[in-house]
Amino acid sequence: MKYSRSDKAFDAMNSAALLLIAALCVYPFLYVLFLAMSDGKYLSRGEVTFLPKGASLEAFRYILANPRFNVLSGLTNSFLYTIVGTLVSIFCTYITAFVLSRTRFRHRNWIMSFFIITWVFEAGIIPQYIVYSRFGFVDNPAVMIIPGAINVQFLIIARSFLESVPKELEEAAFVDGANDWVILTRIFVPLSSTIIATLGTFYAVSIWNQYLIPQIYLKSSGLQTVQQVLKNVVITDSASGTTFRNLIQNGIILNQQNLKSAAIFISMLPIVCVYPFVMKYFKKGIMIGAVKG
Amino acid sequence: MIPGFAMLVLFKIGPVFAMVISLQDYSAAQGVLGSRWVALDNYIRVFKDPYILTIVKNTLILAVLSIVVVFPLPIIFSLFLNEVRRKWVHSAVQALSFLPYFISAAVMVSITYTLLSPSYGIVNEVIVACGGTAINFMAKPSWFRPIYVILEIWQTFGYSSIIYLASMTAIDLEIYEAAEVDGANRWSKMVHVTLPSILPSVIVMLIISVGNIFTVNLDRILLMYNPSVYPTADVIQTYVYRIAFQSTGFPDYSYGTSVNVLKSLIAFALVVGVNKLAAKFAETRLF
Repeated sequence: MKYSRSDKAFDAMNSAALLLIAALCVYPFLYVLFLAMSDGKYLSRGEVTFLPKGASLEAFRYILANPRFNVLSGLTNSFLYTIVGTLVSIFCTYITAFVLSRTRFRHRNWIMSFFIITWVFEAGIIPQYIVYSRFGFVDNPAVMIIPGAINVQFLIIARSFLESVPKELEEAAFVDGANDWVILTRIFVPLSSTIIATLGTFYAVSIWNQYLIPQIYLKSSGLQTVQQVLKNVVITDSASGTTFRNLIQNGIILNQQNLKSAAIFISMLPIVCVYPFVMKYFKKGIMIGAVKG
Repeated sequence: MIPGFAMLVLFKIGPVFAMVISLQDYSAAQGVLGSRWVALDNYIRVFKDPYILTIVKNTLILAVLSIVVVFPLPIIFSLFLNEVRRKWVHSAVQALSFLPYFISAAVMVSITYTLLSPSYGIVNEVIVACGGTAINFMAKPSWFRPIYVILEIWQTFGYSSIIYLASMTAIDLEIYEAAEVDGANRWSKMVHVTLPSILPSVIVMLIISVGNIFTVNLDRILLMYNPSVYPTADVIQTYVYRIAFQSTGFPDYSYGTSVNVLKSLIAFALVVGVNKLAAKFAETRLF
């Protein structure tokens, strides 16, 4: 292709405009960080628009150290649910997808259609609540781990990946006397590192971000996730505005603005930290999903 | 296989059977088997409930706004991003615009509260500095839909753009060269080569959004939700949620389930129908 002067001008303008839009997408996240780092005396005068003023990490320290806000326990709970939940989910989804991808397994089609039907036709939150409460999931951390361990969308992605593995590999191993378990662990798992990482990131992000399920089932404050804590600290408090009083900590004024911002930033920080991985594997997941539809 | 099958039966099919409570006068004390059967009484109540009309209307308005306002933006965005020649710009823009997709509804709504707060939010500070009076955005029914849609754009347009960009990379470069020989400039290449090439993906995405017309971002609404915005914010699923988990006294589980069953039936029919359409026009099936 030829590069003319007008092309160069267009390219520069276009790049600048797109970069601006992209920066706007993440600016609110940065802004929250800047608010959290700022001294309350500048905040109350409305002087913080871009970079933090009187920068310190006092707001973070205070909100994490003070058990009244439950931020630390929310973070701990969310980490625990996410790690255990992701491992359980990967295991269940992968095993199920493996069985459902074997052509030797005669019942695979109707079982798969049941999964799809329950995905498209939602029973709704009330029947779900009635069944789950019978299993004792109310105020039980297992609700974050067990019922959601097979997400049908992710199951479809895993299955279509496993179906694409050449049959000859399996047949050769079968001839050599390998059983299903050996085939699974020696042949498929080593080939599946990408799909396992993809499933892992899918599940980890979705468990971390979950709001509705914990909000329905996890009522006692000791079990709540960081998302629920955020709702209590930032959103519910916006209406009443009673939890926060201005206070001075190591010479820094802490008020509701920098404390709430600190809570928001802390709860998105883990996602931001793993974002490079997440993006890489999500893109792959989208591609696998797009090929098969 | 056993764990997967157990989960299917217990957690996925179990709730489907529990839907029979919509035919009962369910009470938690008597359980599903012990409650009184009332045939279609609950469904008749749904059709007589004047509030149903409001929540159906609110659900549909949010869906239509999502399709009309939110849907076209990533197409335009990815068309322009595809023209960028510098690689680092390309990947930086993608990485930054994709990030909000992974941020939880609780964080997004909390940030919205922070920015729009009537006492310290930067938006109101600007309004006041310009001589206006502060607006309590989150308590105004008229602001609910714009805020919901802006959050939807913020959260999803990077994701949709990546899907379109992926289908753009599959376009044969020879088509562009041929178009250049025929004297096509940048705009006509964008409109007559790139856009038609991604049309199948656009159709699939459109079909998915039409199929999901009854699916709202429930987390987001529940977080933005307070009684003062019910006139515009209350949708089918939030109404069901309120009946079940926010009512005073005994929650009317049976009635809530009836509302939900009707919604699920319509949504199911839509998705199945739309899947047929997708198979016909785009030669792709969604499942």
